[in-house]
Amino acid sequence: MLISINWIRSFVDLPKDIDPRDLAERFTRTTAEVDALEPIHIDARGLIVARVLGVDELAESRNLRCATLDVGNGRTVETVTAAPVIRVDANVVYAPQGASVKTLGTINEAKVAGKTSVGMILPGEAIGIAEATQDAIFPGNNLEAGSPLAPELFEDWVMEVDNKSITNRPDLWGHYGVAREIAAIYGLPLKPYPVVSMDELSNPASPEIEIAIADADACPRYSALLVAGVATQPAPLWMQLRLGHVGQRPISGLVDLTNYIMADLGQPMHAFDADKVDRIEVARAKDAERFTTLDGMERHLTTADLMIQSGGRSVALAGVMGGLESEVAESTVTLLLESANFNPATIRKTAGRLGLRTDASARFEKSLDPAHTVLAIQRFIELARPMYSNLVLKSRLSDEFAKTSQPVTVSVNPKHVARTIGHELPTSEIVNILKPLGFTVTEKDAELSIAVPSYRATGDVSIEVDVIEELARFVGYNTIEPVMPRVSVRRFEPNAVHELEQRTLAYFTRVHALHEIHGYCWYDATWCRQLGVDPEQGVELANPASAGLQWMRRSMMPSMFAALVRNRFYFPEVKMIELGSVFEYARPQDQQFRNVGLLSAQRGKRAEHNLYNELKGSVAGWAWEHFGQSVTFSRAATDPHAIWQHPTQTAAIRLGDVDVGIVSVVDLALRRRMDEHLGAWSIAFAELRLDQLATMGRRIESLESIPEFPRVDLDFSILVSKTRAYAEVVDALTAIEHPLLQRISFVSDFEGDAIGADRRSLTFRTVVGANDRTLVDGDAGAFRTAMEQHLTTAGFEIRR
Amino acid sequence: MTIDELNKTIASIEADVAARLPDVATVDALRGMETGVIGKSGSLGALIASIKEYPPEQRGAVGQAVNKAKVRVQALVKQRLDELESADESAEAGRSSTFDTSLPGSLFPMGSVHPVTAVQWEIERAFERLGFTVEAGPEMETEYNNFEALNIPADHPARDMQDTFWLKSGMVMRTHTSPVQHRSMLKFGAPLRVIAPGRCFRYETVDASHETTFHQVEGLLIDRDISIPNLIAMAKMLLAEVMQREVELRVRPGFFPFVEPGIEIDMNCQICGGGGCATCKRSGWIEILPAGMVHPNVLRAGGIDTDIYSGFAFGVGLTRLAMMKYQIRDIRVLNAGDLRALVSPRRLSGPILERGTSSTACGGGD
Ligand SMILES: [Zn+2]
Repeated sequence: MLISINWIRSFVDLPKDIDPRDLAERFTRTTAEVDALEPIHIDARGLIVARVLGVDELAESRNLRCATLDVGNGRTVETVTAAPVIRVDANVVYAPQGASVKTLGTINEAKVAGKTSVGMILPGEAIGIAEATQDAIFPGNNLEAGSPLAPELFEDWVMEVDNKSITNRPDLWGHYGVAREIAAIYGLPLKPYPVVSMDELSNPASPEIEIAIADADACPRYSALLVAGVATQPAPLWMQLRLGHVGQRPISGLVDLTNYIMADLGQPMHAFDADKVDRIEVARAKDAERFTTLDGMERHLTTADLMIQSGGRSVALAGVMGGLESEVAESTVTLLLESANFNPATIRKTAGRLGLRTDASARFEKSLDPAHTVLAIQRFIELARPMYSNLVLKSRLSDEFAKTSQPVTVSVNPKHVARTIGHELPTSEIVNILKPLGFTVTEKDAELSIAVPSYRATGDVSIEVDVIEELARFVGYNTIEPVMPRVSVRRFEPNAVHELEQRTLAYFTRVHALHEIHGYCWYDATWCRQLGVDPEQGVELANPASAGLQWMRRSMMPSMFAALVRNRFYFPEVKMIELGSVFEYARPQDQQFRNVGLLSAQRGKRAEHNLYNELKGSVAGWAWEHFGQSVTFSRAATDPHAIWQHPTQTAAIRLGDVDVGIVSVVDLALRRRMDEHLGAWSIAFAELRLDQLATMGRRIESLESIPEFPRVDLDFSILVSKTRAYAEVVDALTAIEHPLLQRISFVSDFEGDAIGADRRSLTFRTVVGANDRTLVDGDAGAFRTAMEQHLTTAGFEIRR
Repeated sequence: MTIDELNKTIASIEADVAARLPDVATVDALRGMETGVIGKSGSLGALIASIKEYPPEQRGAVGQAVNKAKVRVQALVKQRLDELESADESAEAGRSSTFDTSLPGSLFPMGSVHPVTAVQWEIERAFERLGFTVEAGPEMETEYNNFEALNIPADHPARDMQDTFWLKSGMVMRTHTSPVQHRSMLKFGAPLRVIAPGRCFRYETVDASHETTFHQVEGLLIDRDISIPNLIAMAKMLLAEVMQREVELRVRPGFFPFVEPGIEIDMNCQICGGGGCATCKRSGWIEILPAGMVHPNVLRAGGIDTDIYSGFAFGVGLTRLAMMKYQIRDIRVLNAGDLRALVSPRRLSGPILERGTSSTACGGGD
């Protein structure tokens, strides 16, 4: 929404020397943020009105023409113009020789396209109507040729307020409502809204327009008036300039006038050709009805769409756009002027479904004041009279108020005001704040009864806190002294998943020196296909950011691989962690889980098992640290979705009976599919699922006392076929029961020619000792014999 | 051996030790020599072993003489040991004069958390100190929790403000962390102090300052007699903690359906200091903390008795705050996983040479 300060000045006598920057800042701090403040500085000198006497095409140019102008005092000049439309007998804004505007400098006589061009017909953009660009501006024929145009007419400041920040304030969608705020901010009076009296519009001798509203919820009020004598006369220059300053291109007198009222009061209006529309019915569209709107588009309607009809024929898409067929044309003699109030949700749905967001629909969506329907018509006549000397009212103001709204009164307890803003506010001050905003305050026992003005009563102000907000913002948020709250102490049960997530991040970034990254929680389908993954499973977005981004991720890996590709040239090793949500299709409801991806990669081939072992080791440490338990690794079953998991070198990680995740290496084929350069890298990764672990709790690891009697370490190397797993050996080893065995740990996994190509040697270390005596000669030997016997019985060969 | 002979032998052993000691140059040699004298097979050691060969009545005197000798020899050795050690020390001291103390150390590999996580942790710690609990909620939310429970009914124009990612199931990717307000009220009731950091999603065109995926921290405090001054004090503390200095605030009205009154708290731009730059759109202010007093409808939806309790809520743009703190100018780097932009170069490549910071130790210039 663009706000012209000149426009505001017509409703509030702001001091001449007011700094627009101060105004914008105070408006920001009290009402709504001003996003931008721009001067319209034309610096016009010597501009006059000229009358077009004739227009000649130029042989030398297709874009330029020569206009003969009456510049007053009986003088005529010829000037060359680029304006696409020049109307004969119309007034134009003219810069005679020696006149100037800021963007063009001083205008002189010039030779253009073989003609001597005297002065210049000024295009819209040169005088502050940017939307008009090269178009000439026709200021209406009320002024004599040669009349000077005051420089002040062109000067203005424009504030831009983001529509989103006033979505709750329909009253601010018009300059009068904004002026009310500004008047209150500066403590200045707001002038009454300039309108003709109702008496003038209520002549009982004039006919009434028939208005029938079938759905009062959808259209609470419809007001209309028949007007004749609205010729094709353009709007006055000041009106065109103001519209130009707020980003509207002047179009025609009538359109400019309704646009002006929309920007003035916030009430959209529509004009029908009364020959085609002489009575009004407001009703829902027929199912599958086709209707051609003003823009020439055929719209496919449903019974949810509200229509304006006349004699059963649709003539406008209510609150959104008029119909092509009933459009006002040059031949129109009498207008039927519509000023109505519609249900916001109805308009919003129709505009949304048809993708037809108009200035009118944007306002109707915000819950407009039903009182404005009549006020807008009064304002229309007020503004139209000076423009159209032949203006005649052909009807009474006809007003169907189908669903009257109850006045809103809010009860406010001054104690609640004090509690919220932090200090007491005397009633006098409450009145001083609320009165200029249109509220009426009545004292009623200990409470205040606040009558809400109709333009704030459409949902904006309805309960006590809404009034407290009005008070708080005018007291001034920036004058409020900050005070820390007084609170009650209580314990909150911690969120276990969040705690585990944060501790997991802290652990792996510190201990394993991983770097945390963030990626998107949807797959990139192109990338997935390159990896050989079919992304089209799982949870799907209805409106993805772009095509190919609709599938929610089921693993952290694809995006982490993409991040690896991004980093591969800059670092000899890339170690990353990402924490995030993954999603699984399920009914009745899709599921989401919290996962952690760990990726460890380094330049150079054949290091993947090293990286893989490091990942296993750091995952084991993480499990000890957070759960006081050991993880186990075993060959994982193939996951058909996660084709990046190595078919034979993916280990399932378990913690007790909880499936924690997997750790794997990336084979050459996949590395090459990621990127040719990664063929020469080694990559390992792990993915951990956190949700189930969060509730696991931490087993407390009690500490041991220093042994009273010395212990000895005895190592055992066990020769096994390469087809047998470490886990099998561990199972056998830990099955032994011996009073002197304190603990067993893993030392190494050795392969070499000495033991044969199909075997490996696993070495374990036992700690042997007694808690109540010193070992005697023979104890260690007896233990060794017992262990060897145990292993041999279990089918293992001891390496000596 | 008679006692006289014994005494002579002892004397000669002691004399021999005293004579040889000055030539012993190393601690190892000294230990060797000591063993050679008082060890089992050493000259004095042999005498000790021979004590039991004397008649019982002489053993006392012999033992005494030999043991005294042993103590004296040990004292001589100790004296020489001290000399050798102090010589070592001065030798080390000599080497130290050419020892370059200004060299950097060997670094341990260091990981790093994402800039957003770093700021998130600071905020979590700051609020935990004030007795807040930290909550989280799901990123895929029900429409009810994301909108209705927060006083945003189906046809509310505020839904325009939240360009939403919808899932085919009818769920939404949460557009803000505010659903956690509702979840926390139901989980804990009042009084309540909770913050909820997390990821949010908006259907936006991505550019240098807009992202589809970003982080917020929701804050919610519900207790008796909670006021706007309380809210402003909390916001000021929060921003000062994160920026590690006092910040200037500008408070202005803001509209969010789940608060009333609703405010926007701006912080003076940390990039330009308030003078105006591209980041703050020349205004000198950065919109950082939308907030307000919790709307009674939201409290009621969360089962809170509005006659007793009131509260405030805020949602800090965590991503925006991280960008301010670490001077990140393009939001897109945060989700791109390029470590060059996410990790301080010191953590990636070790010491970075800096002008004038390592001069004092070696007395050089800069
Ligand atoms: Zn700045």
